[in-house]
Order: sequence, then structure tokens, then C-alpha cells
Amino acid sequence: MNSDLYQRVEALLPRVERPVRYINSEWGARHASDGGHRTVLLYPDTYEVGQANQALAILYDRLNSIEGLAAERAYVPWVDMAAEMRAAGVPLFSLESCSAVADFDILGITLPYELTYTNILEALDLAGIPLDATGRAEEHPIVLGGGPCAYNPEPVARFFDVILIGEGEDAVVQIATAHRDAKRSGLSRSEFLDNLAGMPGVYVPTLYRPAPGGGVEPSGSAPPVVMKRVLTDIGVHRPPLCPVVPYMDVVHDRFAVEVLRGCTRGCRFCQAGMVYRPVRERSADDIVRDVMEGLRCTGYDEVSLTSLSTTDHSQLEEVLRRLTGRLEGSGITVSLPSLRVDAFSVSMARLVSGGRKSGLTFAPEAGTQRLRDVINKNVTEEDLIETVSRAFSAGWRRVKLYFMIGLPTETDEDILGIGGLVYRVQQAAREAVPASDRGSVRIGVSVSTFVPKAHTPFQWEGQIPTEEIVRRQEVLRSAMPRKGIDLSWHDAEVSFLEGVVARGGREVSAAIEDAWRAGARFDAWTERFGLAPWRQAFAEAGLDPAAIASRSYRRDERLPWAHISSGVSERYLWLERERALSGTTTVDCSFDGCTGCDACGTLSVDVLLGGEARGRR
Amino acid sequence: MAAGEFRLRVCHAKSGRARFLSHLEVMRALERSSRRAALPYAVTKGFNPHMKAAFGPALPVGTAGEREYFDIWLTQPVPAAEALERLRRSTPGELGIREVRYVHEREPSLTAASTMARYEVAVGGEGVTAEGIAEALVTVIGEGRLEVERKGKTKVFDLARSLPEEVRVGSTGPPVIVEVTTRMGQEGSLRPDALLEEALSRAAVDGAVVSVTRTDILIEEEGVVRRPL
Repeated sequence: MNSDLYQRVEALLPRVERPVRYINSEWGARHASDGGHRTVLLYPDTYEVGQANQALAILYDRLNSIEGLAAERAYVPWVDMAAEMRAAGVPLFSLESCSAVADFDILGITLPYELTYTNILEALDLAGIPLDATGRAEEHPIVLGGGPCAYNPEPVARFFDVILIGEGEDAVVQIATAHRDAKRSGLSRSEFLDNLAGMPGVYVPTLYRPAPGGGVEPSGSAPPVVMKRVLTDIGVHRPPLCPVVPYMDVVHDRFAVEVLRGCTRGCRFCQAGMVYRPVRERSADDIVRDVMEGLRCTGYDEVSLTSLSTTDHSQLEEVLRRLTGRLEGSGITVSLPSLRVDAFSVSMARLVSGGRKSGLTFAPEAGTQRLRDVINKNVTEEDLIETVSRAFSAGWRRVKLYFMIGLPTETDEDILGIGGLVYRVQQAAREAVPASDRGSVRIGVSVSTFVPKAHTPFQWEGQIPTEEIVRRQEVLRSAMPRKGIDLSWHDAEVSFLEGVVARGGREVSAAIEDAWRAGARFDAWTERFGLAPWRQAFAEAGLDPAAIASRSYRRDERLPWAHISSGVSERYLWLERERALSGTTTVDCSFDGCTGCDACGTLSVDVLLGGEARGRR
Repeated sequence: MAAGEFRLRVCHAKSGRARFLSHLEVMRALERSSRRAALPYAVTKGFNPHMKAAFGPALPVGTAGEREYFDIWLTQPVPAAEALERLRRSTPGELGIREVRYVHEREPSLTAASTMARYEVAVGGEGVTAEGIAEALVTVIGEGRLEVERKGKTKVFDLARSLPEEVRVGSTGPPVIVEVTTRMGQEGSLRPDALLEEALSRAAVDGAVVSVTRTDILIEEEGVVRRPL
């Protein structure tokens, strides 16, 4: 514990909002003894946004469980605290030992969302670490990135020494161990990075240069394509059973067990569904054991069974029956983060909610069957109406529906279709409840704007221009039923910026840095978001952001993320794109046979359901 | 109390870094401690079943407490010494559990019964002296009333009522330690730092309240003042 630095931090706390963000000392925080190799894991947003992040909790648990390795946590101070820290000369600090972040061996930063990128620069600057990997000296920590946005690393590649592609449980331990060994044997920073570039899943951006046809290529012996890391069985590592229990009311403030990883429903817009393949389930026995042990250790009154699609777990009903039986009378509840549009989901929701019927959430995504077929969202209007009727008959009074606008091939007819579908859902809901209760029926409709993501069948498509987003939002508003609907949509400018940063290449990093210098940070916070510093930054960098976001690629062009592979072949993604444009759907390979995405073969893994492997083609 | 329930009163601290917690955060942390301690807690009936517990008067963010309280209802009696030990093991040190005892169901609720609190306020700064503070306090208290502005609202305190005991000023410092007892309840609870800040501004002294600790919560019953435990 660096009590000198903590005293300087503490002196600032009476003057800032929510000092609880900075005090550490929560239940479950690990305090490693000195002397070993130290990693600090940073979530690039405030404490309450990042504290419950499961990926970082897993890595924290893994690193602290290994002799000679230790991990602590850090978050980005809110603007008031950052100003106080700069004025007082207090550097970015870790929570557990209150050490300067710059004094760690590795600074690990997760990449959860494009609009957190300016916060990464804010953190590096507060830590006193040069923003550019090439500007760092021997004494600086190795800056390691990873997470969902690593699948198009180029916009932030310049700021990282190493970016890990794929699952980190084993890889991060190997990287930390390799770094410890390199330091012991006196290797320089660049020797260590050269060696590390041969490790599976590791991308060392400084070893790559812009390629003539677009994208990047290795300048030396680094691999031309970095293949993602993947666990063959997520059951080999138990989830963190004694994670940090925050004092603060944080986002997702509950105990969580990841019950399955991956999703093969094959929605063509969904990056997570493509890059986290294949599906690997934890067994029912393991889930029940881990939930009970984690609740004892944390004292939480809620446990969430997390995944991309928890109702897809082949043993979910058994798991829920066993858990609700054991937790009866304890006041502890089980929650499911996402529901499929079917009767099974409603019966599962009934099983977990007990007396509570707060609200159900479904994602039909598009307003017409034609467009749902294009995106391979294999849900019919009939399914949705049936599911909603069932839920409202069972006592629910609120439902939230997620849609997207700006999907490939979308016309105004599809947008008007959203209005029609919402109207019919509302009618079905009203008919399913007693007349006296009709006033309490609420339908929430949340509409986001599609951003074509890397490593999906729509990666070649450009995003629609901002003016067109605004026009389609108008069409949508005019199509909505007048009463009983809570309509919300994403700000067109936010979606536009997401598009630029998600689809850009290495050239975008200059604009990110300029935007941060112009004052952009916490761009994901509505009250902080503004396009002005970004417009200035793009102008300074000589970039046309609209051209980046709306650019379409030909099949023979090299994509900015072509040197990164999720195991799903480009051939398959293109085939899926062609099927999309012809309105042909594709089945879920976990249940209906292999669809030939090549992930299992390339990565040497299998779909794992209830502890049993399904053969691949 | 439902038949077969046992009301355990717990005294705990709010010290060190934990003084930056809000009342809600302290409540949630202690409920989690109680679940970790595997106490056989009772659960409320109704739409949203939860642990049956009741907490004492709130402390503001930044204010420490030496003897804070909550009640938790158990479905089976656990020997008090064992409950104390289990709670201690499952609670962060900054919220250290000091004492537990079963209390009768007829005992009034902590929030209703607690009408007085004792505080230690530390006042620091270049020009701060014990005499200066004492003099300024005599002036402020002598006026009989204090206007306090909080969140844009002005509240007027009758100091004869709000200060049931004499304010004592320590002889050393800075920081100078001032012991203040205030009355709390529905007619308003005077924050001791408000009183000291007013005194500092009257004395035109360059000083500030550096820490506030509630040392005791007190119950007045038929002229007798006692602790909840």
C-alpha cells in the first residue's frame, strides 16, 4: 500500500463527486504481497461503468491466482477528479495498493466500445505514459489491449504495445509470465515484443506497416494474419467466485456466472455472434455449484446467468429449477440478461422472476419479414405476438422491443413495418390483460442505427449517411402508434462517430488523439458527447469522416482488419452476405448441423453442449 | 415482529475510507455482510421479498461514525457472541462490527428513537486557535438561531433546542477538536459542521472543518439519555 500517494488522493476526495469511486477497500479486493510481477487492469470509463465487467474480473482472478503474478484495478477518473489530480500533480493510480499506474509491469486495457477510446488517452496521459507505443522507454509498462473492439484494432493500434485477439484466460497469464521471464533475463522492451509476436493471438502493432493495397502487413517476421485465441472448454476455468463486491451502486451490481460462450444463431449484423464462435456451455452441475459458492462468498442478493443468449443453454430449465429450489425463502433472485422471442423464454422468465414481473426485453431488430430474413434474425411476427400475449397473460405489463434502422437493403417500407409491428404487439398485449388493467400496458421501443462491423457478413457495406439516419428516424416517428409507446433512439451523430471509429483504419488514430486534445472524453456519456472536437480533429488529420463511415468495400479489396481473424473465414462471410442479399436464411449450427463457417476447423475446437461435443464437418 | 423472529441490534463503525460512503452504500454493504455471515435472516413478505433489516439515522458522505446501528431480524436465535464473530469475519474493517445484542420487539425503531447525536469536529487551518473558536461559538450560540443553506434551501435552527448540551472546545490544536451534541428528528437535524463553519466565518479566521465524526447516537427516554445498546 502506497500510503503517501493515497494521502494525496484522499486530500482531493472531499472536493469531488462520488468519492466512493476512488477509495478501494471493497470486499474481495486482492492485496498481493510485493515483489512479484504486477499488472494493472484498466477499464476505460468510470468505476461504476467498469467495475462489474466480467472479462476484467476473470483476468483479475486468473492473474492473482498464480504465484509470482499479481493484478490490481484502475478506472478513469471523472472530469472533476482528473482536473484535481492534474492540479495537484497526482498521477493515475491503482485502487488496491494506490500505486502509480506507470510503475506497473503491464497496463492491461479492455476495449469494450469505440466511444471509450478518448478515455484510453486520458488514462495514459494521467499516468504519465507516452501515448505512442514508439515513444515508450524501458521503464514504462507494456500497454496491452484486448476485448471486443480488438477485432478492428487499427484505430487504436498506435497506442498499444500488444493487442490480444480473442479469449484471455490463458493468454494473459502467458503474456505476463513471458514478460516476467524476459525482465529476469534482461531482455529489452523491443526484444520482448519481437518474441511475443510469435505467441498465438498476439498482435504487436509496431511490427506492422501500412500495406500498399490497404490495411497493414508485417514489416518483419510477425505473422501476416493473427488468429484469435479460444478456449476449447470454458469449464476448465471456474468463473470468479469471490469477485470484488463494490460499495457503489454500479452497473450490473450482482453476482454473475457466464453459463455459455458464443452464439451461433447467425444474425448477420452481429459481431459478437461471429467472433465468439463456437458455442461452449458450462454444465448444469458446474453452474449450480458455482452460483451457490459465489453467493456465499459475495453476499449478493441477485445472480445473473450471463451469455449472449442464455435461453439457448441446453440445460437452462434444469439449472433454473435447481437454483430456485435452493434459493427459496432467501430473498435472492436469479436473472436472465436476454430473452429469445419464444414461449420457452417466457416460461423461463416466470421461473426466475417469482413474484416480480418487472419487464421483458425482446429484439425483433427489423420491421418486416423480408428484412428479418436478410439479417438472418429467425423470428416471425407470429412468434413475437404469441410471446407477448403469453407474457401479458402471465402478468407482465411492460415489454421493451429493440430495433435497428439503416440495415442493408432497408427501404421506408421496412421502417413503416416497425410501426405496424409495434401497433400489433400493443394490441395483442392489451387483449391479453383484463380491461381494467389496459392503462398499465407499456411498450418500450428502442431503435439504434446499424453500424456495419468488422468480421460480419456486412463488413463490406458502408453505413448510411447522417442526414439519411435523421430522415429515417423521422419516418419511424411518424409510423409509431400515438399512445402507450415509449420510443427512444440513438443520437444520429453518436452512431455516425461509432461508424467512423469502428470502420476506420490506422489513419483514424490521429483524429482520436486530436479529439482528446480538443477535450473529447467520456464520449459514451450523453451529457458529455459532442461532435465539435471530433469535427475539428478530423479536419486537422485531413480525414473525411463521412467517407470512412459510408465507404463500401469490394470483395477483392483489402479490409483494414484483414490481418485479424476470428476463425470464421472471409469466404463464409461473403457467402452469408450473398445469402442476405437474396433473402435466404441460415440455420443455427449448434442445433441444426454445420453451416461451414470454418471456425471449428481453423481453431481446432468443437461446439460443446451440456458437456458434450458436437462433431464438425 | 412476526412470531418466531428475533431482533438483533448491531453496532458498527464507519471509519477510514468508508466515511466516503453514502447511507445507502453502508446499508447495502452491511446487508451483504449479513448474508456472507450466513445469519438466518428473515425475509419480508410481498411483491419484492428482501432481508428484514432497519437502519439508524443516516450519516452524510464524508462523515465518520464510531457507534452506528442497525437491526436485523432472524428466524432462529444465534447466540449473540457467535453472531458477533460471524459478522466480524464477513464485514470490511472500515465498517467494523463492535457489539450485538438481541432487543425486544417493543423497543422503538432506531430512526424514531434516536433524537440526539454527539460529534467530534476537527477544525484546522493557519489562524485557528481554541480560544478563537470558543469565542466565535459563544457569539453564534448567543444569537439563538442559525440559518443554514443547503441545496438552495434555507433552514432556520433554534439553537436552544438544537444544542441540548454545552459545546466543548478542546485545548490543543490546530486541528482544534470541538465536541458538539445536536438534536435530530423531524424538526430538522443540525449538522455540526454548519455550526462550526458559521463560527469560522464570524471570526474571519482562515480555517476549515477537516473531519466530522459522529461518536454516539442517543435515545432520550423520560428524561434519561442512553445508547441504543
